[in-house]
Amino acid sequence: MTITVVLNGEARELTCAPHESLMAVLRREGFYSVRFGSETGETGAAAVLVDGRLVSSDVMLAAQADGHEIETVEGLAPRMSLHPIQEAFIATGAIQSGYSTPAMILAAKELLAADPDPSEDQIRDALSGILDRETGYLRPVLAVQRAAAALRGEAVSDVETSVVSPLTYDMDGVTDPEGIPAVSPKVVPNPEVPETNVVGRPEIKVDALKLAKGNPAFVDDIDMRQMLYAKVLYSPHAHARIVAIDDSKARSLPGVRAVLHHQNVARVRYASGGQSYPNPLPYDQVSFDDKVRFVGDRVAAVAAESVEIATEALELIDVTYEVLPAVFDENEAIAEGAPVIHDEDGMDGAHDASRNIVHHISADVADVDAGFEQADRIFEQEFRVHQVQQAPIEPHIAIAYWDSDERLVIRTSTQVPFHVRRMVAPLLGLPIKKIRIIKPRIGGGFGAKQEMLIEDIVGHLTMATGRPVRYELTRQEEFVSSRTRHPQTIAYRTGVNAAGHLVAQEMKVVANTGAYGTHGLTVQMVSGLRGLTSYKSPNKRYRCDVAYTNLPVPGAYRGYGAPQALFALEAHMEDVAHALEIDPLEFRRMNWTAEGDPIDVAPQLGEGEADTSFVPVVTSSGIEECVAQGERSIGWQRRLDPEWRQPSDRPNIRRGLGFAMCMHGSAIPGLDMGAASIKINDDGSFNMLIGATDLGTGADTILGQIAAEVLGVPLDDIVVYAADTDMTPFDTGAYASSTTYISGMAVKRAAEETRRQIVDRAALLLEESAGAIELRDRQAWSTDGRSVGLAEIALSSLHQAQQHQIMGTASYVSPESPPPYAAQFAEVEVDVDTGQVTVQSLVMAVDCGVAINPVTAAGQVEGGMIQALGYGHCEEMAYDEGGRMVNARFGPYWIYRADEMPRIDTYLVQTMEKSGPFGAKAIAEIPKDGVAPAIRNAIANATGTRINAIPFTPERVWQALHSKG
Amino acid sequence: MVTIRAYHRPTTLAAALELLARPDVEAIPLGGGTEINGLPGRVPSEVVDLQALGLADISRDGATLDVGSMVTLRDFIEHEWTPPLLRDLARREGPNTIRNVATLGGVVATADPESGLVAGLLAYSAVVSIAGASGIENVVLTDLVGGGKGLVGSIITSVQIALGGDGTFEATARTPADTPIVLVAGHRSDDDSLLLAATGVAATPVLIEPDGIEDLRPPPDFRGSADYRRHLAGVLAARVVGRLPEGGPA
Repeated sequence: MTITVVLNGEARELTCAPHESLMAVLRREGFYSVRFGSETGETGAAAVLVDGRLVSSDVMLAAQADGHEIETVEGLAPRMSLHPIQEAFIATGAIQSGYSTPAMILAAKELLAADPDPSEDQIRDALSGILDRETGYLRPVLAVQRAAAALRGEAVSDVETSVVSPLTYDMDGVTDPEGIPAVSPKVVPNPEVPETNVVGRPEIKVDALKLAKGNPAFVDDIDMRQMLYAKVLYSPHAHARIVAIDDSKARSLPGVRAVLHHQNVARVRYASGGQSYPNPLPYDQVSFDDKVRFVGDRVAAVAAESVEIATEALELIDVTYEVLPAVFDENEAIAEGAPVIHDEDGMDGAHDASRNIVHHISADVADVDAGFEQADRIFEQEFRVHQVQQAPIEPHIAIAYWDSDERLVIRTSTQVPFHVRRMVAPLLGLPIKKIRIIKPRIGGGFGAKQEMLIEDIVGHLTMATGRPVRYELTRQEEFVSSRTRHPQTIAYRTGVNAAGHLVAQEMKVVANTGAYGTHGLTVQMVSGLRGLTSYKSPNKRYRCDVAYTNLPVPGAYRGYGAPQALFALEAHMEDVAHALEIDPLEFRRMNWTAEGDPIDVAPQLGEGEADTSFVPVVTSSGIEECVAQGERSIGWQRRLDPEWRQPSDRPNIRRGLGFAMCMHGSAIPGLDMGAASIKINDDGSFNMLIGATDLGTGADTILGQIAAEVLGVPLDDIVVYAADTDMTPFDTGAYASSTTYISGMAVKRAAEETRRQIVDRAALLLEESAGAIELRDRQAWSTDGRSVGLAEIALSSLHQAQQHQIMGTASYVSPESPPPYAAQFAEVEVDVDTGQVTVQSLVMAVDCGVAINPVTAAGQVEGGMIQALGYGHCEEMAYDEGGRMVNARFGPYWIYRADEMPRIDTYLVQTMEKSGPFGAKAIAEIPKDGVAPAIRNAIANATGTRINAIPFTPERVWQALHSKG
Repeated sequence: MVTIRAYHRPTTLAAALELLARPDVEAIPLGGGTEINGLPGRVPSEVVDLQALGLADISRDGATLDVGSMVTLRDFIEHEWTPPLLRDLARREGPNTIRNVATLGGVVATADPESGLVAGLLAYSAVVSIAGASGIENVVLTDLVGGGKGLVGSIITSVQIALGGDGTFEATARTPADTPIVLVAGHRSDDDSLLLAATGVAATPVLIEPDGIEDLRPPPDFRGSADYRRHLAGVLAARVVGRLPEGGPA
């Protein structure tokens, strides 16, 4: 059928099928800013304006739009220009991955057309239909406020960092403990940090323009001729053998080009976690197996001329299953008599597959039993943490095709392009040199995309058909068939002496890695590392069994094993302090790891080869200042005020405040590696090629800032290209809080080498010694005030004399992993009659060393805290008795919306970490660590009830309050 | 989504009913479409879009508000005559991207078991006008939601709400904007009679009695067991009753 619409001001006739969504038609017409998030309209990524109103075009038929006016972000501003709303989103740092930014910009446009001066509540309501997993909505709200001011004709100034005076040390020139700015990023400066020009500045993201304008930038934003569409048949059973599979009817369906399953795909064993070579054993997966181990496990894949045909073909694949008993709980899985999930041959490296124990991990510092004997008090507690999903708004998607050299190209939404290339090669039977992986912009990952998850499927299908193949997970598939966070049962036992110091600490974990091992070893090693590092104890012990079950597969999720461990640890420490009648902050202060203290358990729980001869020490810590800033922001003294805790006008409400200390790492020492290459162009600008993978975090930007700082140029002179296995140097990828610290040092070193060559050329031109030259303001300066421009240097070097490409390349691996620290505070209200917990406020003060870009760093904290809020408060994967997830869509799963947010406040407390680039440590993961325990401790402060399992959903809390009697 | 084989946009009610009445064709009326277009499955169907039938007006006859079935939730919320309770409950039906399209008729027709707005309309004793082969019939919403009156082959044309009185609601949810586990809406009309309706305690939103809570048999899910839902219904109903005292606010 044909519909007539006014599209971005132009009358258009569009052809569509009756069933097609408006989103599908707009994307086919090249309006790539309209993006898929789910089939049910809940993400808002596909929102457009219809007759001036924001609607989810994924749940609107194109036919419904017939006769109406449609506006997409492409219509806002012509090429080379920006609409004031787009400018505001860029300036305020409201854009992270940018996947849903066009929808937010349209929401702002509709709102500001109706009300030029909206309230914050109105703005939040306008944004309420667009789910954001990245920003915590704070910066998008600021962006709309800024845009409103600009459209009212008011002057808007550059976004600057708010400087907050330190509370625990003196800082010359900063003296305003009273005038706390309302708007983050709030930076607490440190006198040890030297002056810089580009680093430490809230520079505009290098990819902001394409994201604000909705330009084609993501995996799906290309059109390929002869494209085929893949669908995968997933198991309806939690545990079953495939007795027979008949694909004849599917193959004979017109439009079907390939059907693959275990009978026609080579059985090559692998582990899917995107990790360095060699991937940890066991290799317990194959592309298609004759056994399924969870509801959502792969059975077969189809490539067809359309998604609809592929979907129909799945229904025509006749599979006969022998259903087997299943087990879902980690403790039941390792008990005697449990069904054996991996009974196949070749389980090398599994600890005891016959008992479903894939890994047994142990680590000891000194003698924990002797330590307990010395203890005056011993405390024991058990905790349970549950399964959640990363839920990036862009689900996994990959497109494979043969290039003109007959090499296989896979354009994929991944955090680990180089690992994917190495890992997919043997599965496809291709040499690595025949494969190219391209990571374009990606719409969030959070660890779910630290996997080789679907690249083998599109690779196999392209090889089978010779044609490009696209595969995108549905939202349900993203929940069930990608990756999740490991559930754990955690037991702590802590011995304390009469002075309140820890003398022994033991942590026992039984972890649930679902049907496959993937990150099962390393996540649980991080749980032990993080769970036994925050506090000093002369004797420590870690024991962990990692269990196979028939649940969907956990893997990497931002924070790795730390959020699990720190929920238990910070709840435990709170309760120990309470039992000892010591102030909870003071108890932690008495025991926390400080500068100079060894991270003694690290050598046994690192991911590389254990090197017990090197025990890292804490080289910088700002935790004292973090606590002080957080205490002030949250109003910590209120926790002891009975009138505040029990408001007289609301008899069913109790209020409370909670705290959690967080300590994380910066990359995997001795293993994570980054590399960079920088070359000068004729005009004195630079191309920077990096393997690092920007997930929307701003990695490309902060790495550009590091290069610009070294080279004495503005960020705008650094053209960044990243994460393409043919074009850029190697990088392990975006995980383990490694990019700033590791890739940043690689960039710094590459820039320093480039600078050395520039200086040599400048010395030649200025007839000066190289040692007397410095770079600033796009010039090389001699000590006597003469200068030569970088363009002149480039032209000389490239065209005129002793010709030579000025170019620096460097790699970096660190033996250390300096810990960022943070103080997390939470304020809650508990309805004691219903169990409903309302989180009113979250405050996090983070020591990330020097924030290379305070705006992107603050955005990491704000977004991370809100993801962590979901973990502790409302998100959970729920199952029926057969292991089928019952809430695999955003409504019943629920992630926080813009119009229901607690107050969030972020402080960046500077320390000078000398091993990091310009003093930087990591920041990406630590915001995930403290929210759940801080809420838990706040509920305890409010009600006296201590709840040792998350999430704090109403019935759980009510049951706990009720059982208290 | 539903596999839609044909799309119709009739301009008269008669034409729309004719399209729905074809014996050999599965056809469903389309309001805003936000539910139908997101449904999983591949049920072949034709859709009859009601947007050109002129059913998007709000009018008032004395103390009765007549809301066209194609009035969007947004327009319902923004209209000056809409009672505050129903405005607040309509706002909770979904975010703006949905409210801008979803219609009051669609909310009533789908009668989502967790729809607070349907509960509010029950408490307001709303009456639904349904056009069918035999003309327009007015049905009390309770009968419609309770399954006593089917909608096959017919079209909801409007919803009538008796204005006046006072209303309020209480809800318990995981987060402030989440779909409540249990919601209780109450309306005390000008004649001082009180009606309470709840979600989360039965297969559909239902009228409840404060002293009949123990008889409820709520369907449990992962957010709330039957016992817990019953407990919530009691607590929330008591709060609502307390805020709607006989004879008006104290």
